[in-house]
Order: sequence, then structure tokens, then C-alpha cells
Amino acid sequence: MGKPTHLSKADIAEFGRELDAIRDEVMNDLGESDARYIRNVLKTQRYSEVAGRALLMAGFLPPAWLAGTGLLSLSKILENMEIGHNVMHGQWDWMNDPALDSSTYEWDNTCPAHQWKHSHNYMHHTFTNIVDLDRDVGYGILRMSEDQDWRPQHLAQPLTAATLAAFFQWGVALHDLEVERLGKDKTFKEAAVQLREIWGKARKQVLKDYLLFPALAGPMFAPVLAGNFSANLNRNLWSFLIIFCGHFTDEVEMFDESETADETRGEWYLRQLLGSSNLSGSVPFHILSGHLSYQIEHHLFPDMPSHRYREVAPKIQEICERYGLNYNTGPLSKQFGGVVKRILRMSLPHRRKRNTLTSETSTDAPVYAEAA
Amino acid sequence: MKPVVKKLLGSSFVGALASPLSVDDYLSLIDSRLSLSEPRGRVTHVVRQTPDSVTLEIEPNDNWQGHRPGQHVLLGVVLDGVRHSRCFSVVSAPSEPMIEVTIKRNGDGRVSNFLVDHAERGQLVHLSPAEGDFYPHAEAPRKALLLSAGSGITPVMSVLRHWIARDEVADVVFVHYARTRDDMIYAAELEAMARRHDGLRVETVFTADGGRRLDDATLDALVPDLAQRPTWLCGPAGFMDAAEPLIAARSNETLHREQFAATRRETAHGEGAVRFLNSDVAASGESGSLLEVAEGAGLKPNYGCRMGICHACKCRVAEGSVRDLRTNRVRDVRDTDIQLCIHAAAGDVAVEL
Repeated sequence: MGKPTHLSKADIAEFGRELDAIRDEVMNDLGESDARYIRNVLKTQRYSEVAGRALLMAGFLPPAWLAGTGLLSLSKILENMEIGHNVMHGQWDWMNDPALDSSTYEWDNTCPAHQWKHSHNYMHHTFTNIVDLDRDVGYGILRMSEDQDWRPQHLAQPLTAATLAAFFQWGVALHDLEVERLGKDKTFKEAAVQLREIWGKARKQVLKDYLLFPALAGPMFAPVLAGNFSANLNRNLWSFLIIFCGHFTDEVEMFDESETADETRGEWYLRQLLGSSNLSGSVPFHILSGHLSYQIEHHLFPDMPSHRYREVAPKIQEICERYGLNYNTGPLSKQFGGVVKRILRMSLPHRRKRNTLTSETSTDAPVYAEAA
Repeated sequence: MKPVVKKLLGSSFVGALASPLSVDDYLSLIDSRLSLSEPRGRVTHVVRQTPDSVTLEIEPNDNWQGHRPGQHVLLGVVLDGVRHSRCFSVVSAPSEPMIEVTIKRNGDGRVSNFLVDHAERGQLVHLSPAEGDFYPHAEAPRKALLLSAGSGITPVMSVLRHWIARDEVADVVFVHYARTRDDMIYAAELEAMARRHDGLRVETVFTADGGRRLDDATLDALVPDLAQRPTWLCGPAGFMDAAEPLIAARSNETLHREQFAATRRETAHGEGAVRFLNSDVAASGESGSLLEVAEGAGLKPNYGCRMGICHACKCRVAEGSVRDLRTNRVRDVRDTDIQLCIHAAAGDVAVEL
């Protein structure tokens, strides 16, 4: 697809203003019905957790095990994606409810909230898809962009990706360690502090899921242990699936540092749009994905309550049409197919031509030019 | 909640089962008033004594530790999805089982107007531990003066009800200023108390019906033996500013005061003094965003993207007038978290940094 060669600085500034207006309209409208929505999600998550864990106590009966594991998986998915990720983005701070406060919320994930907020809210959302700055591009172990150097280990990346998927919450937990910087501009001492924090968090989940709840079941601990492990695994696989569809489908653009220096607000919005991709589906699907199926809207407005992305999306699509921009969306099968293709393609050394920044300075001249 | 259940639910074992949520998060599935440690209450009775007030009777949960006469409590109510907290004096005596508060319309105040118009039975309210030292004593004095105006009657009623409950009304003069009798809360209750207790003399002055405002002459006429009376004083800022020197000139006995709101200084838009409360540092608000002002003053607040996206720089503002640099809109905030990087002072601001 390439970066848009028909937009001038003035166009992009106007694009930014239109998006600001959409954001303001929603944020000024937040009220009781929004609060009711998140409270219902919280209730659903907590009821399914209690019911799931209770059913697993009778998990030696296969139907109880299946239902219990299913409900517990649902509760972990809802808690991580629709609740945790969104609460930590500050989407619900406006309610002044201590249970939904981004500065104190701790989620059911081995990654400490503090480190998540640094690597995700700050690094990923500010430097989205800028290859050497956004560490979500490959998580330091996968090659997801032509602009990343190819190394022989990338040949194994289909396997690496599958392993990462199965243990995704642990990958997320270790993400903010930035191991590639160790010995260079990050000291081992700093990493040790973080590791202690990570272990402090992970230990609580391990204790809860793999020791305490099984112990409560006495001699019938095995189904509880298996159910809890499976629920964590299901959450890992589902979140990997949804998250990788957000930035690694076909037609998603990557950027380099030089073209994003001195970015204006409009250009930031544009990079967020071009670097993200959506998933189409039913409302329950959207909720289960934490509304990350609206990755574009989420990247444009990270602190907007997630269920509002649904009403904002048609307006974004309309703006994209008018500005001649690609609105990257599709069903899960197609989008994830694109992700798989990318993982496979990047496992081999490969480069393609990209549209680059022009050196024009006038606000009416195009910002990007076709690759020569 | 039975103590043994509370102890079990508060144990570290149960806490580990609930981790990383709290046990309270699960208790709220059963009843929103349940909590292991937070005081909360439910409104059991609503009375509108006057068109501009509402009296609430609140049944607290077992985390409420009680109160002393004249103390106040921070009441939290949810209005249109948002929790707001406001301070109200507890009118009930400590010996009463329910907490009674009376709320008067405070201009356009969102919370007071909402409660006066829409408070209803069954509503959940968040409470705080009672605070204040309006009545630090164990025993009533031999003689006393209770002096109040408008909604300032609330903490003073609490002291009086306390004395009546313990039969300690020896010689009490209660002077109250209101616009008219119809505007006066607790008018009927006070009249009944005065009839029943010889030791209590109640003087009400209705300023809209010709009653004279408080001055030397009226005070001497109403309370000739003020010199022997410790005083409990509460009312709007103007009333208290007028009353205090009059009392101080006449009596060496203790003056106990309860003030509801500090008077806000009016400043022109764009000017602003920013006070960083925790660091005891002040700076001019004109040099840029609150984040830049803090850094210029030598403080090191958390920050991230510095463009309003990641919320790393969020900080509590105790009170102040801030401008959102993205929309240029100004708003008054109180006890609210805001992002320092995209707000600037539009008037005086007190930041908890």
C-alpha cells in the first residue's frame, strides 16, 4: 500500500483537527450509561471466575471440568483485556472509582502493572510501529518488519512465535526488562530490581492458581490444577491472537526514526492509523477482544472508554474515505492469515521498496513520495 | 458482618485467593455496602425540611467507628457515573444509631443540588472516618453559647443533641440566624427542645423578616453574660468573620469554630500561583504546563509521552482552576487527578506533589 503520497502538511493538520473533534465529542458525553457498562463487565468477569473455580472443584466430572475451565478462561480473558488493559490506559479514571483507577489497578497477569504501563502506555503508544523504538515490533525475539536486520535465528520464528503464544503472559512480564539493552545503556542492577518486581507479581498468580486452589480441592487437586493451567493457556493464546492482529497484518505500515522526528499531532494520528489494523465481528467478539478489534480507534484514542470505539469507527472510516486513506479491517481468519504470512515471510531475509519522506517544506506539497 | 467471618475474609490466605483483586471486589457482588475496611452506608430515611435542603438518615456498615459531636464526614455519592465527595457535618448525637446529615443547596454545586433533588432511600453512600475537633470535651460546660447561621446549624445541633441525650443542659443559649422561618432547618426540633428544657434558651433571628444582622448591640442584647460562656460558632464565612471579633472582645472563654469552606481568592484568567503541597514549594503558573512548572521548581514528577496519551504524569489536584492545553477549556477542579503535561494553571492551583 505504502505511505500516502497525496497528502500535504495542511491536509494532515486538518485530518488531526477532525479527529480531535471526534474525541472531544465522546469524552464530554461520558456518564451513567458508560459506568453501567463497565460495572456489568466487572460483574460478568467476577461471577464467571467464582463459578468457574467452584465448578473445577468438581472437575473430576468431565462436564464440570469443561464448564469450569471455560468460565475461568472467560473471566481471565475479560479481566486482562476488556478490564485490565483498558483501566490501566486511564479509560475509566473519570469515574473516580478506586477500583478502576489506572494508578492503582493490578491485573491478573504475571506482568506488574507498573512495568506494563511503561512499556505499553508510554513506549508502544507513543512510538507505535517505529521500528527501533517500538519494542512491540517483534518483542525482541521475532522479526516482524523488513527494516529489522535478519539473523539466522529468525528461521525458527514460526516455532518461536508459537511458544511465545503459549506462554504469552510470561513474554509480556519480561518485556519491560529490555534485555537487548543490558550491558549497553541498561545496568544489570536496574534489571535485577525489575526482576524482583516481576517475581513478586508472578509468584502471587502461581501460588493462587497452582498451589492454593488445588490445595483447597484436597485429593481432587489434579483437575483444578489442570483447569487453572488451561485457563491461563487459553488466555495467552487468545490475547496473542488478538494482539498480533493489531499491528502485523498485511498492509500495516512500519516507520523509521528519521521520518517521525518532529511529528505533528496530525502526523501522529496518521501513523497510528496506518500502523494499526482492525477485526470485524459481533459485539460479544469485540468485548472478548477488549475492543482491541478496534485497534485503529484504540490507537487514535487510547484513553477513550473502549465500548465507545464501536460508535466512533464509522466516523473514522468516513474520514479515511475522504482523505483517501486505507482503513485496514477484516475478519479474524483473513487478518490472522496475514500475520502468519508475515511471520513466515520475515523468517527469510527480504526487503521491499517503501515510499519515503520528501524534502518539501511547503505545507501544500505532498509529504511522501513514491519509491524510486 | 460477623467478626469471625470478617477475620476469615481478611486473612492473608483468602487475600491470596482473591489476588490481585481484593476481597472487597468480590463482596460487592453480594451487597455494595459490604466491605472489610471501608466505611459505607445506605440511606434509610429522606426528609426535605425546607425546599432547599434534604436530611438523610444513613445506616452505616460496621466499619464506621462512630463520631464525636460536631465532627464532619466525607460523603461520597455517584452522580452520572462519577463519584464525588463532599464534607458534611454529622447532625446526629454520638449515641444515636444512625448517622444524620442535612445538605443545603450550595449555589450551583452539583452534589448538593443532586442530593436535595434526587436523594432517595436505598442509595449507597461512601463514608470516611469522622474528623474535626469542634467538641473535644468529655463533659458539658456549666454555661454555653451556641451561635450559628444558615447551614452552620448542623454541627451545633449535634453538640446540643449530645448534651440533651446525656441530660447535661444546664444553661445553654442558642442563637441562630436564618433568612426566614421557612428556610430554617431544625426549626421545629429546636422549638420543641426549648419547650422541654428550662436550661435552654433559643433565640432565632430572621434577617429577611426585619431581624437585624449580628453586631455589638444585638449581641449584647441577646447574650449579656457572654463573658462567662464558651462559644460554639458555625456559619458562612462572612458571618464568622463578623462574629469572631465581637466574641473575642467580650469573652476569654474558648471559642470553638467550624468553617465549611475556605474563601477562594478570585484571580484573573491566566495568572496563577501553583502550590505543590507535599513538597511545600510554590511557583508561578505562567511558565507552561503544570509538568513544566513542577520541573522548573526543581521537582521530579513522573512523566512519559508528555502529550496526554500515556497518563504517566497523572497527579491529584486538591483544588484549582486548570486549562486543558488541547482544547483551551478552563475548569475548576477539586480532589481530581489530572495529567500534568497537558494542563496549565488558569488560576491558583494546589497540586499534591
